[in-house]
Amino acid sequence: MSAADDVARMLTLVPWLLERPGASFAEVAEAFGVSEGTIRADLGHLDFCGLPGLGGGDLFEVSTVGDRVVLRMADELRRPLRPTPREALRLVVTVDAVAEALGEELPALRSAVDRIRAALDIPERSADVVAPDGVSALPTLRAAVREQRRVRLRYQGRADDAPRVREVDPWALHVRDGTWYLQGHDHGAGERRVFRLDRVAAAEILDQAVLAEAPDELEPPAYVPGPDDLEIVLAVSPRGRWVEDAVTVDEIEEHRDGGATLRLHTDAPRWMASVVLMAAGEVVVRSPASLVAEVLAQAEAGATRYAS
Amino acid sequence: MADKVERLVNLTIALLEAPAPVSLADIRRRTRYYTDGAAESGRRMFERDKDELRHLGVPIETVTLPHSEEAGYTIRRRAYELPDIALTGEEVAALALAVRLTGAEGTPLALAKLAARAPDPTGLPLDATTRVEVQPDPVDAVADAVLERAPLRFEYRSADGTSATRTIDPYGVVQRRSAWYLVGRDHDRDALRAFRLDRMSSRPEVVGAAGSFIPPDDLDVTAAVSGQTIEGVEVTLAVAPEARWAVELRGGRDTGREHRGWPVLMLSGLHPIRDRAWVLGLGGAVEVLGPPELRDAVLAGLRAVMAVHDEGGP
Repeated sequence: MSAADDVARMLTLVPWLLERPGASFAEVAEAFGVSEGTIRADLGHLDFCGLPGLGGGDLFEVSTVGDRVVLRMADELRRPLRPTPREALRLVVTVDAVAEALGEELPALRSAVDRIRAALDIPERSADVVAPDGVSALPTLRAAVREQRRVRLRYQGRADDAPRVREVDPWALHVRDGTWYLQGHDHGAGERRVFRLDRVAAAEILDQAVLAEAPDELEPPAYVPGPDDLEIVLAVSPRGRWVEDAVTVDEIEEHRDGGATLRLHTDAPRWMASVVLMAAGEVVVRSPASLVAEVLAQAEAGATRYAS
Repeated sequence: MADKVERLVNLTIALLEAPAPVSLADIRRRTRYYTDGAAESGRRMFERDKDELRHLGVPIETVTLPHSEEAGYTIRRRAYELPDIALTGEEVAALALAVRLTGAEGTPLALAKLAARAPDPTGLPLDATTRVEVQPDPVDAVADAVLERAPLRFEYRSADGTSATRTIDPYGVVQRRSAWYLVGRDHDRDALRAFRLDRMSSRPEVVGAAGSFIPPDDLDVTAAVSGQTIEGVEVTLAVAPEARWAVELRGGRDTGREHRGWPVLMLSGLHPIRDRAWVLGLGGAVEVLGPPELRDAVLAGLRAVMAVHDEGGP
């Protein structure tokens, strides 16, 4: 940590301690998200801080008794420094994302954000988190996680032709930058599975308590390449480059016209075919041949229906 | 480093407590800092300290002192101090939970500032069964300009791959799906536009004074990132059984009718660009019955896909 970080914390530590004489080191450390050792070092510095002149009588007075601390004679810094625009906006968007995620479960969070926005002059429209669409199962799954009851899902796996019924012991909901997941024990598969909420066609709470216990640490959902994954090569035109936002690309080779060749892996060729179709000809599958065939079959089936 | 931390805190206190702007000579007398070695090296050290404190948000102002041509320095308490925010204990608890859930870097200190003079958190109201991950890092690059209302200039790569310099009045930031957007008025186009922060290919640069613009009262940042939906248009789709869930999830309602063996579902409001891509993604499992412009656009898209994939593509 730099000296500047230490200074920023200490300018806040002073008013915080003035309000809470006799706070314990553990409480201070928790409030500031640092170790107790860091707080002890801060107090060591504050003992040498105070009014200009720096004569003995003008310095702050730090006294510790056991694990408790009292700060006196520090009225010059009785109020905290205003957050910088970065700090303020970061806090507001972070808290907004959580408020969006928790919905109506934590009304105090909404009122807290409103007060902060008002005090720091951050209008509602200058920072927002848009609720995702297609997560209609959320209230049901929230209730299931809270009540620890098993759920029956109709779930469209990325590799499946149509939604299948799955019975799941729900452990936790997870929002990662706006995308919702449910983690739990899938009784059909006999192990942990991650479900994307925008692929849950229907959810129903069963009259059955959760049996499989959640592990202490839940890994965040992420695509892990497997040995059976297909290697895909796509040629994209300049207008088709948005697909780079939709898929995880291993390698990009730029073309002179602004297009590119993309290499990537997937465990779900059906889903990849769907992405290619969305691009309406701006994305071309170079390989494998099986994916070209899948894309052609889908496009022909559609076009035939329209033409006839 | 110990010396430096104390020096920066004491310089802050000295400037806060001085009744009027003070010269560097005054600061030397009051603090006994910046006196070692040559006068010039002391001045340089002071300049560095001043810049570091400003970077932390300490509002050190530079003025010209009356009766001398010397620079004077001051911190006005009203600019420095955070006014009291009347947070309740329950609200502090909720904020603490939110910060803990995300673990976003830098947020604990911001929260400590806001809660420094508020009551202590009253028992956490909720067990955290929802994990939330937010990556607010991209927002940092534009935060100052958004809150200070200063125009920004940056290089931007559009969705169609072309790059251009854009100058905008940044009204706000929005997260939609997994991406952060900056919404503002594009100077050259004189229109509201949304820019993905991860498509800026240069560091945004402030190119005008703070307070240069006022965002419109009827600004709708959500519409700006989602694109316009044409209300009052009904989209009707014949849907194969295996795709029905996807249409229902989008709000599709059964009309009770059938079209060549498939049930007909209806959605309200047409979003011309997004709906075309969405329907194309469902491939042969959906047939657009109306409006005709969407039906034509989808058929043209399917034919384009066939054309580029026949015989190995272009």
